[in-house]
Amino acid sequence: MTRLLSIVLTGLSTGSIYALVALGFVLLYKAAGVVNFAHGSLLLLGAYVTARTWETVGFPAAVALGVLTGAGAGLVVQRLLADPMRDAAPVALAIMTIGVDIVLGTELSRRMGPDIVVLGHPWGGAAVRLGEVAVPANRVIALGVAALIIAAFLLAFRFTGWGVAMRAAAEDPEAAALVGVRVRRVVTTSWVLAGGLAVVAGIFLAGSPTPGLSPAVGLVALRALPAAILGGLDSTTGALVGGLIVGVAESLAAGYQDELAVFGRGSGEVVPYIVMIAVLLVRPAGLFGTRAAGRV
Amino acid sequence: MLDVRDLSIAYQGSIAALRGVSLTVPEGGIVALVGNNGAGKTTLLRAVSQNLRRHRGRITEGEIRFDGEPLHGGGPEESFRRGIVQVPEGRRIFGTLTVEENLRLAAAAAGRRRDRAVIQRVYDLFPVLGDRRRQRGLLLSGGEQQMLAIGRALAAAPRLLMLDEPSLGLAPQTAARVMAAVRQLNADGMAVLLVEQNAALALSIARHAYVLELGGVSLDGPGERLREDPEVRRLYLGGSAAGTAEHDSAGPIDGAAAPGPAATAGRLVVEDLAVSFGAVAALSEVALTVEPGTIHAVIGPNGAGKSTLLNVLSGLYRPRRGRIRFGDTELIGLRPHAIARLGIARSFQNVALSGGQTVRDSLLLGCHLRMTAGPVRTGLRLPGARREERRERARVEAVAERCGVAGLLDRPVVQLAYGDRKRVDLARAMCAEPRLLLVDEPVAGLNATETEAVAELIRRLRDEDGVTVVLVEHDMPMVMRLADRITVLDFGRRIADGPPGRIQDDPDVLRAYLGTAA
Repeated sequence: MTRLLSIVLTGLSTGSIYALVALGFVLLYKAAGVVNFAHGSLLLLGAYVTARTWETVGFPAAVALGVLTGAGAGLVVQRLLADPMRDAAPVALAIMTIGVDIVLGTELSRRMGPDIVVLGHPWGGAAVRLGEVAVPANRVIALGVAALIIAAFLLAFRFTGWGVAMRAAAEDPEAAALVGVRVRRVVTTSWVLAGGLAVVAGIFLAGSPTPGLSPAVGLVALRALPAAILGGLDSTTGALVGGLIVGVAESLAAGYQDELAVFGRGSGEVVPYIVMIAVLLVRPAGLFGTRAAGRV
Repeated sequence: MLDVRDLSIAYQGSIAALRGVSLTVPEGGIVALVGNNGAGKTTLLRAVSQNLRRHRGRITEGEIRFDGEPLHGGGPEESFRRGIVQVPEGRRIFGTLTVEENLRLAAAAAGRRRDRAVIQRVYDLFPVLGDRRRQRGLLLSGGEQQMLAIGRALAAAPRLLMLDEPSLGLAPQTAARVMAAVRQLNADGMAVLLVEQNAALALSIARHAYVLELGGVSLDGPGERLREDPEVRRLYLGGSAAGTAEHDSAGPIDGAAAPGPAATAGRLVVEDLAVSFGAVAALSEVALTVEPGTIHAVIGPNGAGKSTLLNVLSGLYRPRRGRIRFGDTELIGLRPHAIARLGIARSFQNVALSGGQTVRDSLLLGCHLRMTAGPVRTGLRLPGARREERRERARVEAVAERCGVAGLLDRPVVQLAYGDRKRVDLARAMCAEPRLLLVDEPVAGLNATETEAVAELIRRLRDEDGVTVVLVEHDMPMVMRLADRITVLDFGRRIADGPPGRIQDDPDVLRAYLGTAA
């Protein structure tokens, strides 16, 4: 029982980080119709900046720098690459982001080398004890921060002018432009926010129980993609639920891997994709995604 | 206020859409733009709202000035900021947003985020929107959506309101209400540029009107004068000069439904049909019998459940209760493709064609059902498959010719004007060679001459091909001339059923649908 509880808690905390990453995917998909494969390298870039600066400026300032770098990188990609391509087919945009991911990811791997860089989390490797279960403090804080950020987004989408404009632009950009929504600004904002969100997730991902930042952390974004898709690529609620499902499923597979040995070692790695496929078979638009429905 | 001088516009990969058009909307004026489908009316509005780029169009010559100052090419944003707001064709409201959010969005964009009064004014003008302010846009009926589209533009407090086909798909009573609202707005000082297929409606409120033909202005003058112009009457008002008199085969007027040329095997019988969406009953206790080889019209106000009925008949919706028999086959429970295989085809209210395809490809898709070669035989280009494809291509051209869209075959569907799309959609449905054809507002967006051509086409389908037709339509003169029998729906219930002569005099119908004016 303790084991199960510990596995589920670990899963939820990983899942909340996935949810943050997935939220970035959803934001961009809604606003710009882009599936952003460069998300992982944006995450890595910001976390790398934090890792390189915390010793001189201190952890909080380093986090701010990292998040700003991620947001700035999002802005640059939008202004330099995505915006000039805005009339191109969505698949062309997606392939452009794959290009960005390869270039940025390769350069960061080269700079990091084989070392694992630490980020200087003030809470280090401390653990929080809940009865007999111990969970890394890093993960508990991640859970709280992710919950706050996601709640803020859900509220903003519903109640702020920006949120309404964002939903309108997502549904029908032409009609939105005709009633004065600055569609381009909405898209730019989404790139900036998505970049920042990725880095927040990256900073937690590089903390305990992970030893530190390595290029492999960027691959986590790829595991959040099935989370976003199974939740529904155009649904913020879906990103949250999808992230948690993938996190828990992965943690269960890893925790019971001896029992699951028939499927081979490391079956936890593929679990997100198996869950995604299973969900899509039943609900092709994801759990919370809008089906392409309309009045006929 | 708005001055368009010698404007020429071309879309990528096609001929000039506008050629040297000049037009003026004076301060506080109300100007109408009438003309055939594809004449360039929507293009002109796009130029003024600076929304051409999205459609790959550009101004090749000429200039647009607003308040004496030229438009600077700043896109829709600039036009909006200067007080020009366009209500696009086909409503284009945000279906996932609530009514209130739709309005708030436009108010905020115009810098009136805190201004409750501007939204309240919209509710005063269209009280039904106030009642439904928390509902999502996609749950509104067609008429309510049109009101919301106009209301959304008003929430931005425009100086020039541009309306693209505001009466499209509206029941006569609702269309009249929308027009009254436009007139009232204009009386309060707002300038209006109105594009309208229903020329009679447009000319009745416009102080000045332009007739656009093949991308150029062929005629302009005060609204009343154009209304009296014999050429305009003939082409756009469906005046006595054309059509109506010589084609007055109004079908059997006597009580009993006409037995068609085909056997009763093709009879469509609907009994006790009920459909609901959540708690809302869209249809209840609906019954009707469509005799084979007749044209059976279904009319009623917006939101009466007409499209819902067609959606049930073609298998898109599952009813909560009821029976539908086509010949001896029970339709309820069959999937849409199985229903299509029984020889039931339909055209759609909101045209269901895929955008990037050419008209020819769309029509070939309509032939799909009749083609027997599977992907393997087609892929290998076996002789049989190729013969079949040749045969279907020839057929597509014949159907296109018949529907008057032969000249459009190689154009991408996205480039077509709404009314042309409707005709292509009808042609697509006909390509399946149906025994029963369900048509949803086939003449919405068509002017009088074009309407008469479609009416004639439907009549010939019945008389020459023995096709049974279920027709949903708001154009009452057309319905009365064409239909053998009419069912009237209101709030999801059948309120009348009978031959046109009797429906025309039914007091319930007059009250619910035609308004006291009719």
